[in-house]
Formats: sequence, C-alpha cells, structure tokens
Amino acid sequence: MKDDARLHDARLQELADRLGTAAAERLDVERTARAVVERLRAGPRAEGWTWLQPAWLRIAAAAILVIGGGLVTRAVVWQRAPASAVVAPVGEDLTDLSTEQLREALTVLDQPSSVEGAGDTGVEGLTAEELRALLQTLEG
Amino acid sequence: MPQAEPVAAPLSDAALIAAWQGGDEQAAAELVRRHARALARFLSGAGALEADLDDLVQDTFIRAFRSVGKFRGQCQFRTWLLTIGGNVLKDAARRAKRAKLVPLEQELLATDGDPHERAVAGEAEGRMRECLKRLPRLQREVFLLRAQQGLEYQEIAAALGTTPGAARVHYHHAVKRLKEYLR
Repeated sequence: MKDDARLHDARLQELADRLGTAAAERLDVERTARAVVERLRAGPRAEGWTWLQPAWLRIAAAAILVIGGGLVTRAVVWQRAPASAVVAPVGEDLTDLSTEQLREALTVLDQPSSVEGAGDTGVEGLTAEELRALLQTLEG
Repeated sequence: MPQAEPVAAPLSDAALIAAWQGGDEQAAAELVRRHARALARFLSGAGALEADLDDLVQDTFIRAFRSVGKFRGQCQFRTWLLTIGGNVLKDAARRAKRAKLVPLEQELLATDGDPHERAVAGEAEGRMRECLKRLPRLQREVFLLRAQQGLEYQEIAAALGTTPGAARVHYHHAVKRLKEYLR
C-alpha cells in the first residue's frame, strides 16, 4: 500500500517493497512454467506422500479403534460369564430358603445352562469355598 | 483504409483456470507466467532462500492446480496462491529442519550490480528478513500481503479465513514489532 497514513513508516514500506524483488527478477519464469506443466502432465506422484500420510494415519486410527473395541468387548464378556454362572445363587440369601427349595435350586444347578453353553455344568464349576458355603447352608 | 485487427483482451484468471480444468496445459503455463514473480517475492519475504525459490514456486503451483476445485473465488487467484505458498514454505522448512541443511548466505547468491551497493541492499533486506522471521506466521503473512503485495484487508481476510478487523490487528502488531526490531 502506498498510502502510508496506514503504515506510518516510509522506511518500512521501502524495505517491504524491495523485499524479494531481486530474487524474483532472477527467477526464470518460462523455465518454471515449462517445469510446472511437465510435472502436472506426469501426474499426482509428486504430492502423493502429502495425501498418503494422513490417509495412513486415518487407517491406523481406525484399526486401533476396531482392535481396541474388540478387546474391550471380549474382556467385558469374559468378566460377565462367571458372574452369570452358578455363583450368584450361593450366598447369604440361601439361608432363608427351606430344604425343599434348596433341593430345587441344586437340581437347577445340576442341569447344564442353555445360556452358558455345553461346557458349564452346575456345581462342578464352583470353587472349594463356594461348595463349602453351599454345604453349610444345606446342613444349617 | 483497412481496419486494424481487434486486439484480444487477455483472459481473466478465472477463464484460464476453467481452460486448465478443461485440459488446456497452456492455460496453466500462462497462470504461472502471470503470478510466478509475485509468488517468488512473497516466498522470499517470508524467508525462502533464493536457491530454493524455483522449487517452492513450482510446488506451490502444482499444489494449487491440483486443488483448484476447492478455489471458490472468495479472493483473487493470486491471493489464494500466496496463501498456498505460505503452506508450501512451512512444509519445506519442516523438512529442512529434519535434514539440518546449512543455507548459503543470500548475498553470496546475488551476482548482478555493484558489489558495494549489493552488499548494502542485501544487508538491509537481510535484516528485514530476519525481523520477519521472528514474527508469528500469521502476522508475517498479513504484513507481506499488505505491505509487499498491496492487498486490502478484505482480500487478506478472505484468503486467510479471518475478518478484516483481525487482519488489521495482525498487520499493526507486525508493524509495531518490526519497527522495534529494526530500530
């Protein structure tokens, strides 16, 4: 801008005007134009990496999300599996049950669970401590 | 008396861009001829070494032509090109930092004119360039677009995605700091 009312410094403007002028004058514009056209003709190889880099980052981020999500889901399912098995009925609540009711409960426990699959078999899955607690409840 | 052939008016940038998009390589070459020097001045002012100038100008045009579909005419083509040049320069500087290149002095590259005059001019320009390097990028670019390229705040703001008021503030901060550095 030649209107130096806004610049307030003719020296600064002069320097700005001169800045890069000589270097720009030395630029061979015709050669640059030819080189640009040739590179454009050659295709988008020159800039490929610029676009590939973010694309790879996006793919890596997506892969991490999928794998991470899978691991979390698996961990949650595995944590839930024992909880939903036979341990839950064994506890303080059983003390209130009658002998008849406890027998029924044991019958149920002895049957393979359709939800948990063929591998789950009632009391066999209980720990020693849980079995002890169950027996104490039955005796008491 | 025979009538003179009408002189064809030069095509506008928009017409050349449309021609390039239609496959006319000469339209691209004409855009380079039209804007290469202004771009080189801007890049040089923003800190580019003269030895790198040709490559940077080429890279800027290549990037611009490949993404010309994104240009919506919010500002002049040249202004848009200069902002792309700023990004190209930033990327090149990042790569050079990684490669730890040692640049030649600007004065050693110039070969024309009286050596004494060249040295004095080169010193002043070198100081200005050093001062500009110390500015934040946005202030530096706004200063160059305004003081070197002669653009209005409205145009600068449209190119940089900011408001004319903000561009004015950046410019005044840049001028204030440059005066302090150059004192």
